[in-house]
Formats: sequence, C-alpha cells, structure tokens
Amino acid sequence: MDIENILHGAGLIFIFLGIFTIIVSAIGLFRLPDLYLRASAVGTSAGLGVASIVFGALLMDFSTANLIKALIAIIAQLLTSAVGSMAIARSGYLNNYKPAEITHTDELALTKRG
Amino acid sequence: MIWPFRIISFLFWYAKEFLLANLHVTADVLRPRKRMKMNPAIIAVPAASKSDSEWTLISTLITLTPGTLTLTLSKEHGILYVHGMFVEDREALVAEIQEMEDRLLKAMRRNPGVLSRPTERPVVQPEDVEEGDLHEWDAPGITEAESEGGEAR
Repeated sequence: MDIENILHGAGLIFIFLGIFTIIVSAIGLFRLPDLYLRASAVGTSAGLGVASIVFGALLMDFSTANLIKALIAIIAQLLTSAVGSMAIARSGYLNNYKPAEITHTDELALTKRG
Repeated sequence: MIWPFRIISFLFWYAKEFLLANLHVTADVLRPRKRMKMNPAIIAVPAASKSDSEWTLISTLITLTPGTLTLTLSKEHGILYVHGMFVEDREALVAEIQEMEDRLLKAMRRNPGVLSRPTERPVVQPEDVEEGDLHEWDAPGITEAESEGGEAR
C-alpha cells in the first residue's frame, strides 16, 4: 500500500464525515424549536460539513496550489457561516422573535423597553 | 509561556473544543424529542476584550462553536450576550466563555496584562432615543402626500 492510496482513503472518510454533518444539520433544522437554536447549531455545523468536504478533496488531490486554495476556502467558509448566523439571530431578536418556551433565562430582554 | 506558543496552544485547544461541541450538538439533535437535553438561555457574560478586533474575534469564535451563539455585545458595559444551548446555570456558561476569552486574549496580546472583568453585573437600561435622531422612515403618521412636498421638516 503506497501513500497515494492511504491519502485517497483518508480523503473519502473526510468527505463522508462532511456529508454526515450536513445531513445532521438538515435534521436539526426540522427538530430544533426556535430560530436561535437553529442558527447556533445548524449554521456552524453546515460550515464544518463543507470545510470537511473541502479538506477531503484536498487529501485526494494534493498539491501546494490546492493546499492554499483549500485553506482560503475553509477559513472563508467558517467565517461567513459564523457571521451569517449572528446576523440572522440578531435580526430575529430585533424583530421581537420570542425564544422558545424552554429558554429559561433571557438577560437580553432586560435591555428592552417593555 | 511565550507568545507564539500561546497562539499554537490556543489553536489546538479551540480545535478540541470545536469538535467536542459538534459531537455534543449532533448527539442531541439525533436524540428522541423526549430525551433531548436542551436547556437554552440567553446570558450576559462580562468580557475583558478591549479593541475592536478582539471583540470581533471572540464573538465570531463563540458563534463558530456549535451550541453557543453571540446575539449582540455592549462595548460600553463590556458584555457579550450569548445564547447557549446547554446551560445548566448562569455560572457554567460564563465560565466556559471566559475561559475561551482568556485563552484568546493571551494568544492575541504579546503582553496579556491583567485580564480583569467587572464582577458585579452592570445595570443596562433601555435608553430613550431623542426625537431629532429619528429618521424620516421611522416617523409614523406621515402620509405620502405630506412627504411629497419636499419641505425640510
């Protein structure tokens, strides 16, 4: 077994891990009760899924140019998914979307006018 | 530890936390609804960040960890408003966020100095907006016809 085959196998594992993460995020989108939970769990898990697929593809076809491209893609993907989640959650709060019933404390509500 | 090592140790620590949080959230999403351990809350966390880049990085990293989400922050009062998915009590989440912030600030600053935070919870009151600060599109009761004239109000 040469190094090529090992890298190929590892790449496949990462790609399937990424697919699994994205599927779990999609299930979470249906099962979680409110906007904030969805944004915090799903937004970033989907980011991780895409990052994992990119990393897997990098392992399957490794070169210096691809390494740089993959690094840029992963960092940009994680950053944008995080900033997007924050923007969605914040705009939901500013538009008076109430957190789900199970949310036991809400200290941000103290800063709001009644 | 000297500075470059603090950066590397932060990166490894964050990668570990990130993967653990992912497993945690994945397990909870796949659990039957009755046994879900979700316990969400929005908590005001006192923070020690000072510069804009520190605020940006800490809030992005908190959001990037699945299960925690920065809703907004108050630089004036030094507070991060964090929505957590598994919050047993206030102190647990505050400790978790502050540990991340301590490690981040030690990695970002060559001389971290004293990372002190206000221990008492600051009182954040809603502020009244001055009349003059309102934009035209905020003013209710102004009809199309009245604003059509183009006179300065």
